[in-house]
Amino acid sequence: MRKSVLIIVCCIPFVINFLQSCSKKIYSPEQINFEDVPYKTLSEYGFFEGEMKKMKGKERVLAYEPVSSLFSDYTEKARFVWMPEGVSCSVADSEGQTLQFPNKSILVKNFYYTNAEGGQQRIMETRLLIKTADKWNAYAYIWNDEQTEATYKITGANIPVQFTTDNGEEYNIEYIQPNKNQCKSCHNQGEQLMPIGPKVRNLNYEISYDDGKRKNQLAKWIEMGYLKDGSVINEVPCMVDYKNKSADLELRAKAYLDINCGHCHKANGPASTSGLFLTYEQEDLTKWGVYKPPVAAGSGAGLLTYDIHPGKADSSIFIHRMNSTRAGVMMPDLGRITVDKEGVTLISDWINSLEP
Amino acid sequence: MYRYIFLFILVGFCSCSRSGKVEVKDTSGMHQASVDEVEKLVEKFILAESGSTIEIPAGFYEFNTQLIIDNLSNLTIKGAGMEETILSFKNLKTGGEGMKVVGKNIVLQDFSVYDAPGDGLKTQNCETITFRRVNATWTNGDKSENGTYAIYPVQCKNVMVDACKASHSRDAGIYVGQSENVIVKNCTAFGNVAGIEIENCSNVEVFNNKAYDNAGGILVFNLPNLPVADGKFTKVYKNEVYENNHINFAVPINESPNGNTVTLIPPGSGIILLAAKDVEIFDNKIKDNKTVGIAIANYHITGFPSEAPNWSPFSSNISIHDNEYKRPLSPPDLTKDLGKLIAAKNAHGIGKTQDIVYDGFWDDSISKNIADNPMNICIQEAEIENMYFTRFDLRKGADAIEAFKDYDAFVCDYDVKTNVQSIAKL
Repeated sequence: MRKSVLIIVCCIPFVINFLQSCSKKIYSPEQINFEDVPYKTLSEYGFFEGEMKKMKGKERVLAYEPVSSLFSDYTEKARFVWMPEGVSCSVADSEGQTLQFPNKSILVKNFYYTNAEGGQQRIMETRLLIKTADKWNAYAYIWNDEQTEATYKITGANIPVQFTTDNGEEYNIEYIQPNKNQCKSCHNQGEQLMPIGPKVRNLNYEISYDDGKRKNQLAKWIEMGYLKDGSVINEVPCMVDYKNKSADLELRAKAYLDINCGHCHKANGPASTSGLFLTYEQEDLTKWGVYKPPVAAGSGAGLLTYDIHPGKADSSIFIHRMNSTRAGVMMPDLGRITVDKEGVTLISDWINSLEP
Repeated sequence: MYRYIFLFILVGFCSCSRSGKVEVKDTSGMHQASVDEVEKLVEKFILAESGSTIEIPAGFYEFNTQLIIDNLSNLTIKGAGMEETILSFKNLKTGGEGMKVVGKNIVLQDFSVYDAPGDGLKTQNCETITFRRVNATWTNGDKSENGTYAIYPVQCKNVMVDACKASHSRDAGIYVGQSENVIVKNCTAFGNVAGIEIENCSNVEVFNNKAYDNAGGILVFNLPNLPVADGKFTKVYKNEVYENNHINFAVPINESPNGNTVTLIPPGSGIILLAAKDVEIFDNKIKDNKTVGIAIANYHITGFPSEAPNWSPFSSNISIHDNEYKRPLSPPDLTKDLGKLIAAKNAHGIGKTQDIVYDGFWDDSISKNIADNPMNICIQEAEIENMYFTRFDLRKGADAIEAFKDYDAFVCDYDVKTNVQSIAKL
């Protein structure tokens, strides 16, 4: 009798352990039921291996990095793409730019500070773009303070955070997570929700992968089965990295404006109302804003006359709006509440280099 | 020289630009929506489906995020009344407009939008959109930091703005841009820099509105380099356009105009046409606007580059008839170049308010002689011989401005054709 009690008592930890391991389901993207998406928590998608906050993608959860990146209040971004087995992207337009993703594609973008409170890394949010029934949908997850889980939130949030930039500048801000419908203020192509970063010209360069090897991202996508036709690798030149100071100043400026402004300021984007078109391919100087008076800039125009006053950055509305953190004045008007000082310097240098 | 001294004396006596009263509603007694109620409402906008109605109960709602309708059809957003349901965007830290709507067959009615950092209520790429008894305003006084447009349909097709109110915007109260098939009726616009502005639109009727205490009452403009390159066919009729003598606060006082065209508007302007095409203005009461009743202007007067694809800088095919005019005693504006021009150089005597002014640029590839009325500017007013009409000639530069009273060349008939039958019942 005693013996059996003892055995039972001894077994309890094992039983508990067993039960726990049962309840702690191992998730993976292959098991996602797209009809149940969005899940309540990020962990349910099973994108990451080991501790979620280490942001190490599972085998088919492939890291990617556009050559130039949108400024988002000095956050770093860890991006991943996942597609089910047996399907792949194709190149959708004649310029060889846009990638047409298959249904059930997922883009994962983590926004984090490497040097937040106490010198710790802090992940703010993870945004997912998921394609089902030929439509993209955006879902944002807010990370908890413990950095163990992120929870789906549609109405957005203001989250206080302290961080230090690479230059050693300290900030104490309210990080703003946009609400779900604000996503489309940027991710918008003819009123359809669309990814921004994964374009051929943004990905056509080498990055380092987990195995320590460097490889052209599109070549890697082909190797993974994520892209069919590799001919674009040789046909479509990569946009420049605007942070690369040895690159041509004008190309750097255009890359910066493309990735920070061009998603809205394009013919089929929400800011087409302004007549200001800021995509990398744009060649018409007036559409760039050179000697162009604003249309609906309101207080955003300050006391200035032209969007770009060649040779005079200080008299250009571009710089006025980039330097502002006041809603109604600042541009971009979403996704930042701090000034991108390096960006301002770059665009100022470029405007000052233009012949009046 | 005497004339200028006289002008200065006049200015000294009559610095009587109305600085504008701001009508601020006392909202303290209203139901103040809780954080939870506000969040629920944001959620309703996000989860809304086509074919539904979003009801917004009475109350004062303060948001820290934008309200956005994302491409839905057959949707109604309905408050408990302009005075009962107030949506305040004062606390917005990012995002320009307070409410933004994209969709098809949309009705917005019976609520107010306060203090958005950019535009109050913007609808873009909409097909068939109705604003009814919607109010959009700013409550902090008339400041250059106020939002741009209060009610702002842009790039829409079939637009009805009915019985709305727009006030204290630092640009235009009701601004319809780059749209097609538009009615603006029974609305009130006051305390804005521009009351009602129709820009790069086609097939438009603006009637039974009141525009008062703005710097400019009603504007019909075509601006260059926009996706909708030019606009034509607008009728402006049966409106009351009076006492639009508000200071132009689009830039702070004493600052020069910036690149926004609205910063050039002289206080005291009733109706202004700029690069406008096929516009008929009739049966309006245009009263006590101290600078000019109706100004017909060409884009050259802005001083901005005036060449653009598929767009003409000239105003043409204009028909003005059967309006009532009353000039106030106060002299024209002297804060803006166009005001100074009218005050100092008009054809009827220094410091005299004008009923109709034509800035007198014309396309001389049509005719070298203005007497041929090359731009087809037609004026048929009963009292024309008693009215103050001035045609300027500004083509020889600021030192050689000429002004003429003679209106004979412009007495003609012209029928502007609009057809808004299909949206009249919206």
